Amino acid sequence: MNKVAIVGAGITDCRSRWVEATYWDLFQRATRRTLEDAKITAAEVDSVVYGIYNDIFEHQAIPESALTGMIGMNLKPGTRVTSGGATGFYAMRTAIMEVASGVSDTVLCIGGEKATDCYDPQSKSATPMVIDTIAKSWDPFFEYPLGATAADSYMQMCMGYNDQYPNDIGDSVVRAKIIEMLCRQGNKNPFGQRRDETVTVEQVLASRWIIAPFLRLLEACMYTEGAAGVLFASEKKAREISERTGVPPIWVKGVGAANESYQAGRGGSYKPLHSIVSDRVAAERAYKMAGVKPSDIQLVELHDAFIAQFMITMGEMGFVPLGKTRTLVDDGIMADIRELGDTKRPKKGQLLLNPSGGLIFGGHFVGGSNMFSMWSARREMIKRQMPLALIHGTGAINAVFGGALIVELEDGGVR
Amino acid sequence: MNERKMILGDVWNLPREVSEVTGKDPGTFLQFNTHMVTFYQQTYGELSRFFLALRDGRLIGSHCGTCKQVMVPAATWHCPTCDFAEMTEVDLPHRGVLAATAPITIFPSASFIGDAPFARGYVDVATDAPIASFLPSRLRTTTGLPRPGIFVKGVELKPVFEDVRIGSIRDIFWVPMSEVPAKLRDKKPLLASALNFETPPAPAVERSTAGAKALKDALAAMKTLAGKIDKSPRAQKDLSGRTHAIGIKTGGGNFTLHVASSAIRIEMGLPKKPDFVMVAKDPAIFTRWVADGSLTDAAVEGNLWLPHKEAFGILPILDRLPRSVRRDVK
Repeated sequence: MNKVAIVGAGITDCRSRWVEATYWDLFQRATRRTLEDAKITAAEVDSVVYGIYNDIFEHQAIPESALTGMIGMNLKPGTRVTSGGATGFYAMRTAIMEVASGVSDTVLCIGGEKATDCYDPQSKSATPMVIDTIAKSWDPFFEYPLGATAADSYMQMCMGYNDQYPNDIGDSVVRAKIIEMLCRQGNKNPFGQRRDETVTVEQVLASRWIIAPFLRLLEACMYTEGAAGVLFASEKKAREISERTGVPPIWVKGVGAANESYQAGRGGSYKPLHSIVSDRVAAERAYKMAGVKPSDIQLVELHDAFIAQFMITMGEMGFVPLGKTRTLVDDGIMADIRELGDTKRPKKGQLLLNPSGGLIFGGHFVGGSNMFSMWSARREMIKRQMPLALIHGTGAINAVFGGALIVELEDGGVR
Repeated sequence: MNERKMILGDVWNLPREVSEVTGKDPGTFLQFNTHMVTFYQQTYGELSRFFLALRDGRLIGSHCGTCKQVMVPAATWHCPTCDFAEMTEVDLPHRGVLAATAPITIFPSASFIGDAPFARGYVDVATDAPIASFLPSRLRTTTGLPRPGIFVKGVELKPVFEDVRIGSIRDIFWVPMSEVPAKLRDKKPLLASALNFETPPAPAVERSTAGAKALKDALAAMKTLAGKIDKSPRAQKDLSGRTHAIGIKTGGGNFTLHVASSAIRIEMGLPKKPDFVMVAKDPAIFTRWVADGSLTDAAVEGNLWLPHKEAFGILPILDRLPRSVRRDVK
């Protein structure tokens, strides 16, 4: 496999609703910023990969067709990827494979979403209709008719995990403490949706229930409108762009992906309810390819759809023991951004988790959320000189799609 | 003649119009009402056998003679792990075990507004098989609304069949076996009309001195709130058009919450004809409610017993009152 680097990234402002822009404009803005960051023109891009979760939010079938000319990709190959919540991860994987195979030298990976134009006439608000649209990720035969939603599928996993490992994610104060820390980090993200908010432990514990007993309103990711782009390049092209920008390339070291069965069950190939196996297998594959261990990595941008799932995924990926993920807080493993400031690396044994504020405070525009995470990881690696980072993506009902990317900063930091 | 139920009611429609909207940036923008609706006559195809069996009051799975797994529901007839070997139909027992503690949905999607709170979980039906998938299931209780502690991992469950079945996964639901009278536990199929979901018995609550003191505080707080509502246009709007007499049993004594004429009134004792009766061991939840707490949360957490979802639907309106009063004072 040829070497692949990240040489540019750009995102739009993350907003609960963009009345000022259609998804056409959001994708164009993110493309413009990505290319400006890499100091290249659209003409220099060989190919494009789109991350677009569904057609309903964009309100157009084949939405990528309308984007082609709008983002300067006329007559270039374009592939649209859609893999639930993990759409961004799988779009980046596709772009990486295109460069690694030698087919293209520069691939733009661009993703975004315009969800909250949806409207529920009953409640006269967007959210129930957005939830309903995502709930149609379930089949129409057995699950959707029962009122299943994406959130309650993740909560089913959390409750299964809690059955297996009591006294871990069930402590609402521990969960609330993680949220308070993520909020402080989100305050430092200049594009973050909730960058001006202050959320305390007390507020989390007082927020209303969405799904009992693991999901209060302030424990959930947001619905965001926005777009993000990442530019991948071959080694030769990466060195040329790096020379131009003065910014070191970030090398893709490991890519791991695994999707579990849709059907939950006992034994065989069925989805177990107490575990997110897809996260574990995807991370193990990425570690193996990169030749690293979890203990080598101190920077993680994790797909935190919900905070209890954030804790389980940290366990599944091997950063903390399963059943003891609360040690992130209890043992101070999650670094405090107040101590790190804008440039320090976490101490040995500590982790910088979701410095973007994650999907809960930064933004969650599904098709591009994992590109948003990559944008943040690259930014932190460069400014803190951190050598390695892991970017995680999860998706589909019951968190059955999993992906992990490990990237390395050239000449960055001290191992 | 029965009214014919349509897929979409009038509430789902919007006027054909373009309106102005403002956002974060300066300037005025436009938005138009539109839709992206597709209707289906969705075939059940190979799944039809499962749903035909449900209509007949039977539960079936598909069994693989090679790996011995049982797929519940019978979602395929060719084993995905044995080179798609032919699977055979097996009748399943009318009992099962909850595979994992079930979540309780409080804030549902647009299509299920009005149904909350509801529990949904996975039932292990083919418990004798070495490998089996779980049946996605509605979970109901005869003891009021679903609440923590009922649908926990390992609880034995009984499938209940709706009296009128159309060929839908909603033709059945599951109740804790402990709530099914002994003489009905082996019945196949057990029909919903054989159980009482309409008038669940209210839990008994013991009175205590501490409860009486807590009730005194709660009554004082609620009476203060009632006075503030009389001066709050927002709170009055919250209550507009509503008339309720809600009986409340607590560990400190009973009282009635009257809602009428855009106001609330508290009275000791239970009403002769209550809309419904709620039960709370600790009356302090009403003191916390007035101080910007939440009766909804109390119900969700199992500290406020309610007989049905219609009662639950009133709680968000009551929860809004302290906030509305506060906003008007500001």
